[in-house]
Amino acid sequence: MLKTMNQKVSIVLILVGIGYLYMTSNLPSYPYSPVDADVIPTGLGWLLVGLAVLLYFTKDSETKEQKARRDIPKKDIGALLAVFIFIFFYILLLEVLGFIVSTAVFIFFSSWFLGYEKFKTNIIVSILFPLFIYLTFTQFLKISLPEGILPF
Amino acid sequence: MGSLEGLMTGFEVAFSLTGILFVLIGVFVGTFIGMLPGLGPITAIAVMIPITYGMDPSTALVMMAGVYYGAVFGGSTASILLNAPGISGTVATSFDGYPMAQQGKAGKALAIAAVASFTGGTVSVVLLMLFAPALASVAVAFSPAAYFALMFMGLTAISSLSEGSTVKALISAVVGFMVATIGIDAQTGTQRYTFGNVSLLEGLDFLVIALGLFALAEVCSLIINRKDLSVNNAHKLGSLRLTKGDFNEMKGPVTRQSFLGFILGVLPGAGATIASFIGYITEKRIAKNPDEFGKGSVKGLAAPETANNAATSGAFVPLLSLGIPGSGTTAVMLGAFMVLGVQPGPLLMTDHPEIFWGIIASMYLGNVFLLVLNLPLIPYIAKILKIPRPLLISLVIMFSIIGVYAISFSTFDLYMLLLFGVVGFLMRLFAFPAPPLILAFILGGMMEQSFRQALTISNGSMMVFIKDPISLSLLIVALLSFTFPLIRQIRSRKG
Repeated sequence: MLKTMNQKVSIVLILVGIGYLYMTSNLPSYPYSPVDADVIPTGLGWLLVGLAVLLYFTKDSETKEQKARRDIPKKDIGALLAVFIFIFFYILLLEVLGFIVSTAVFIFFSSWFLGYEKFKTNIIVSILFPLFIYLTFTQFLKISLPEGILPF
Repeated sequence: MGSLEGLMTGFEVAFSLTGILFVLIGVFVGTFIGMLPGLGPITAIAVMIPITYGMDPSTALVMMAGVYYGAVFGGSTASILLNAPGISGTVATSFDGYPMAQQGKAGKALAIAAVASFTGGTVSVVLLMLFAPALASVAVAFSPAAYFALMFMGLTAISSLSEGSTVKALISAVVGFMVATIGIDAQTGTQRYTFGNVSLLEGLDFLVIALGLFALAEVCSLIINRKDLSVNNAHKLGSLRLTKGDFNEMKGPVTRQSFLGFILGVLPGAGATIASFIGYITEKRIAKNPDEFGKGSVKGLAAPETANNAATSGAFVPLLSLGIPGSGTTAVMLGAFMVLGVQPGPLLMTDHPEIFWGIIASMYLGNVFLLVLNLPLIPYIAKILKIPRPLLISLVIMFSIIGVYAISFSTFDLYMLLLFGVVGFLMRLFAFPAPPLILAFILGGMMEQSFRQALTISNGSMMVFIKDPISLSLLIVALLSFTFPLIRQIRSRKG
């Protein structure tokens, strides 16, 4: 039943549409407005379901090249996941360690992990870059970034 | 205020010391970012938005406009030198630009691109100056119903004109609109899809979507292709000098494409990509020796380069005079306006002539900067193409994070950024175009508002959209624009 990629994607989208419609039906109503808050969302929900059904019956017109794009080697999927975990920790520690420290650590490890071998350059870049950005934002643009554990 | 007087005000803004400085910064940074693989005007504008925070709006927007066309120019450079167009708007540039570079004439190709961009950009600024005020004075009289219909048409146009499947593009647009409904409903105060989360009350910030779908999704592609070494194969530049014969050959395509590109830029949904392809195809069709195209033809390079720059200024017509972006890039540009508290639209010209005319006037200056400053500097700027991929990836991630954090100061938004990065990457894998999503997200709130205003005025009768002649004709155009491709797709399935 779910032979083509379009059909698989379509099922996911139909489920998203139904979920959205369900949440919309639970919106509280507001009696004094001629067009309530659920009118547009209801329309959008049905539109998504309708388009997804249309997608289900549309022939895959993908070129080989597009299909090949989905064939990501396992190693690269691992790399993608790892970088996303790095980013996650970067965000998590941004306000704890402060902008300069967390950014420096992030740039260093993420570049190193992705295969940048020049150790010295990497250290210099990952220290100077955050420092430069931090000073530009806080001194020149007057936008404060998290200070964190550094005293300035 | 008359147009001439307005233009004078604009020149005062653009030619002041700060004006000149920020146009220069904008154009330079735009060229820089646009040249990087995969990063186009959308990322360039989005990354620069936090910097404008707290700046004088007219100065800030003059700079942002510079970032925009600077990025388009930077994209062409990458197309010519590396055959790696950063954005779809400069793909056609690589058809003849890269072969020329392979023949050792990269310098010549860059010079042609610069002259063509300059001419296309300048001609279309003149046209922008003439058309935008006229359109604005007509648009003042638009009813909410007409506005709704106009935005609806913009969305269907971008969906039916985007690459690949129309159904997928329409789905992207619907999802973008859905994301826009998150937050407190402005009219009734009802909380929608916030799951009780305080950070979602105001809805998602457009930078989260723009940087997630474009910058972070590109990061994913870069990670997969991180060992791609084409960057190191950049060709030697050679002389930048153009001969009289080159100019003679360029004359025709540049003149024609300046106008055609402008018109395509004004139309909703078309923009730089389509303008450059149509420019290339028309010139090939009318050329005396079409065989030269694709082998390093001067005409084949000049045509798309003129057209994409002309379209870039053309896209400012609906943005400035109607307040309605026609493409993903101008949608992010509209976001830049809103961050600064400026609402573009028919009233902008009368309420803030210094912004309206300042942007237009600054484009003359920006185009000159691109030609006389950037061209000789290109060999040096192109060095950034040699930034090792791993380092580039880390830096792009950092800029995306700062971009969002400096606007919202909330780590919640950063997690959402990460989420939209994943969504953007999946969309690429399954060939769903992202520009309709960002456009629908930005237009969503405005569309819902005008839809409900129209129905409030009509006491709930849907007839209001049909009775208003402007609205009716726009809706018919919208309907036609997506039924044709749909029918074609269904037919091709049967056949």
